[in-house]
Amino acid sequence: MLSLFQKTSAAHKSYSDCSGCGLCLLVCPVWHRKRDLQHSPQGWAKALQHGAAPGDLADAVQDCTLCRACDPVCPEQIDIGAMILKLRRQMAHPQTAALQGRMAAQARRPAPAHQEKTALLAGAALRAHPALLNRITALLGKAGAFAVAHDDGADISLALEAGVVVPPDRLAALIEPLRRADKIIVADGLLLPYLAQWLPAAKIYSLGETLSSLEAVRRNLRSTDLYMIEPRAYHADYVRLVKYYDRLRRERGCDFNLDLQRIAIPATARGLPQRLGLAMPDDDAQAHWVLHGRSITRIVVENLEDRAAFEKISGVPVVHLAELADD
Amino acid sequence: MIPEISDLALTEPGTIGPCHVGPDALQGIKRQQTNPTRWNGQGWHPFAAALRDSGIELRENIAACGTFATDAGGTAYGLPHGVVIARSTAQVAALLKAAQQLRVPVTVRGGGLTTEGESVAFGGVLLDMTGMSRVLHVDSAALTVRTEGGIFWHSLAEELRRYGMDYLSAPLNLTSSVGGTLGVGGIDVNSPRLGCSADQALSVQVVTPRGEIVECSDTQNAELFRRVILGYGQFGVITEATLKIRRYTPLRMHYFYYDSLRTAVEDMQLLNRNDASDYAGILTIMDCAVNLLVAFDSDEREAAFKENWQVQLRGHGEAGFALCMLRRYALRPWKLPEAWYLLQRKRELFPEFRRPEYLRDGLMHDRTVVFSRAVWKFWGSKQMVIPDLATSAEKFVAAVERGNAVCRKYFPHYTLYMVGIKLRAEHKPHYEMSCIPPDAEGWAYGCEFEPMMDDRVYSRDYLQSFKNAIYDIGVDLGGSYYRFGGMMKGYIRRVFGDEVVNRHLAMKREADPAMILNRDVIF
Ligand SMILES: Cc1cc2nc3c(=O)[nH]c(=O)nc-3n(C[C@H](O)[C@H](O)[C@H](O)COP(=O)(O)OP(=O)(O)OC[C@H]3O[C@@H](n4cnc5c(N)ncnc54)[C@H](O)[C@@H]3O)c2cc1C
Ligand code: SF4
Ligand code: SF4
Repeated sequence: MLSLFQKTSAAHKSYSDCSGCGLCLLVCPVWHRKRDLQHSPQGWAKALQHGAAPGDLADAVQDCTLCRACDPVCPEQIDIGAMILKLRRQMAHPQTAALQGRMAAQARRPAPAHQEKTALLAGAALRAHPALLNRITALLGKAGAFAVAHDDGADISLALEAGVVVPPDRLAALIEPLRRADKIIVADGLLLPYLAQWLPAAKIYSLGETLSSLEAVRRNLRSTDLYMIEPRAYHADYVRLVKYYDRLRRERGCDFNLDLQRIAIPATARGLPQRLGLAMPDDDAQAHWVLHGRSITRIVVENLEDRAAFEKISGVPVVHLAELADD
Repeated sequence: MIPEISDLALTEPGTIGPCHVGPDALQGIKRQQTNPTRWNGQGWHPFAAALRDSGIELRENIAACGTFATDAGGTAYGLPHGVVIARSTAQVAALLKAAQQLRVPVTVRGGGLTTEGESVAFGGVLLDMTGMSRVLHVDSAALTVRTEGGIFWHSLAEELRRYGMDYLSAPLNLTSSVGGTLGVGGIDVNSPRLGCSADQALSVQVVTPRGEIVECSDTQNAELFRRVILGYGQFGVITEATLKIRRYTPLRMHYFYYDSLRTAVEDMQLLNRNDASDYAGILTIMDCAVNLLVAFDSDEREAAFKENWQVQLRGHGEAGFALCMLRRYALRPWKLPEAWYLLQRKRELFPEFRRPEYLRDGLMHDRTVVFSRAVWKFWGSKQMVIPDLATSAEKFVAAVERGNAVCRKYFPHYTLYMVGIKLRAEHKPHYEMSCIPPDAEGWAYGCEFEPMMDDRVYSRDYLQSFKNAIYDIGVDLGGSYYRFGGMMKGYIRRVFGDEVVNRHLAMKREADPAMILNRDVIF
């Protein structure tokens, strides 16, 4: 009886169910830059529905930034992120062998198991900024014992992004040492939903949410700040986080990189070629769009990548969330 | 007798060809016109070469053409020979010049949210206007915006909000484009006060079917302006528009529930006549739960409504309506499945309209996002059949009740959406042969009849006969429609009469001698 009142359940939804509503396109940074339907989930779904093969969409699908803004807006509940990764898997990538090699090497060096109940997967960007990482560990340390994971799955993240299958031994090498942790904090938003699948017993949080929940950080947010939410983690847990950040806005009064659909506008627009280092990032237009028409005095970022993008084009100070905490 | 293919290929633009799908397969079902024959491709190669010589990117691959194979309706299918993404007015002008010369059909597409195939190309070139979708200038002091014609209303809203501004009225779906709406209408829940979207255009830049670039307004090239606004894309491609805007305000929302369509419509008309609210519209779950939505931009307007008009409304609050329903179904136990449906629908719909991230201090923010997302979530699907009727205020109740009876006959579940449109006396010339019915004075009223597909599969002919049954009411009452194209093309003469249609056809032939621009929408 109930099926009479519901649309087909989410489990059965794929590109063939796309109604062409275009809501995904409105939030897509790549469409925003190119204004070309063929660079949008709507374009891919419609092309596939009407006779195109995955190979016909190769360039556009590689340009996708995997910000996953399109996922929560799709009224048909198509898992667009999965659709994109599936398309990428179907397109042999020249870097596949290199990525596989990297994962194989990492699998041969398993990290020691963590004893602590909380683990931080810091990611390559934070590791490149030891002072900031120290600050973060000090802040999190005050909240309880925790460990920085030796293996933060950077190679896995890149492989997932490229649509390269992660071998079971590499996956095991990442998750086995984390088995004892009941809380995992992850800086790389792409990994967040995967960790939730791989470690169902643990609670997985983004670094942004974790830091912004700390009173020492939160109280220093100002009403004239622009707070940059890291899009990948946000969109992966949208239903919960939209409420979380709305509460933060009410409490602190700062502006967010949210559009009218409450979707996070990314500061960068890096597709697979940029992620793999095959092309130079060109984030200026995207970062300009985030700032367009806003009067703010400071930008607070959850993600280090955003800091670099804004420092290049904005005239206001740009700080990482962890830097807000009183010393 | 099945017509010869050669007859179909030679069907004269501006006339209605015979049905080639299956004239003998529709026994007992009245069918006015089927999707047009695909253009025969004569002249395509020189046209493609001309475009490439002018540096215009033309895509002929299946990925590009397949993307545009259908519109939101999902019942009309056609493939263009090639796709061009509009990038500049000069490029559009060059394309139209070549198309006119080589007699290549051009189908202009904005959001593609038509439901009768108006934005589907049955051969020829598809011009995707969303490539021209940038805001050019916001004038917060003069309260105007200059924008490219392919912009989605929602993208316009995103940019205007950065200036604390908003557009006046636009369709509740987020992805209609400005150009695609100015040519058709654009109805919002504030249209009873502000008119349709097309009325908000102060001036537009148009590329005529001969490829000339013309700026037009009520005072400059006024005749062209009259033809382009509400002209179903027949007299030019809208490449830029200057629109009125206003300061953004959140909404004070009120909902009144009725179990009678007539009473709800009468109350809505009462509010409109007396300028008692800033927004008013009716959304129903079949004809059992009729919701009159009333909203305000300011506390003052809300207070005035509460003082003067609220007591005159015959609708109930939520609790009162629940009691009313309880009584109704207690006396009619055989209708319990209907009651169950209403309950389920309410449980799904209500939270969507009350999502906390859009409600602050009792005010609704970003109403267009809230309503549009709900529209897609609960009514959107790969196939959408949304016939509509537009009539004068006096005939509206009859139109709604008759249309409702048709819905009841064809579908177990459906929704009606009704809004008034304030007419502007000075825009009367725009309204001729448009969605605004010829006899409407003061306000026109529109009702959309949207069946819920409920995961069932209906044949195309079943859906078509439903649409015909609704459209026939319009002919009978002397009304008009929001949608033309495809099957609807046959109605243009039936509702407006030969004299008016022939006059417009003569103007069209003058402006577009090869009849290339948006063929088969109305001519
Ligand atoms: C789910 C849904 C909800 C809707 N809700 C509403 C609503 O609340 N209110 C309302 O008014 N309508 C509504 N509509 C109807 C829709 O808004 C209209 O059909 C509107 O015209 C679509 O705009 P578009 O940009 O998608 O135009 P398209 O579908 O792309 O084109 C419409 C017509 O205009 C022509 N055209 C497109 N762009 C241009 C241009 N730049 N210059 C010249 N001609 C052009 C096309 O050739 C076509 O004939 C709804 C439709 C759907 C599917
Ligand atoms: S993931 Fe982001 S970039 Fe990729 S299609 Fe979706 S919205 Fe666009
Ligand atoms: S949001 Fe979903 S249904 Fe709508 S166009 Fe995108 S993929 Fe298709």
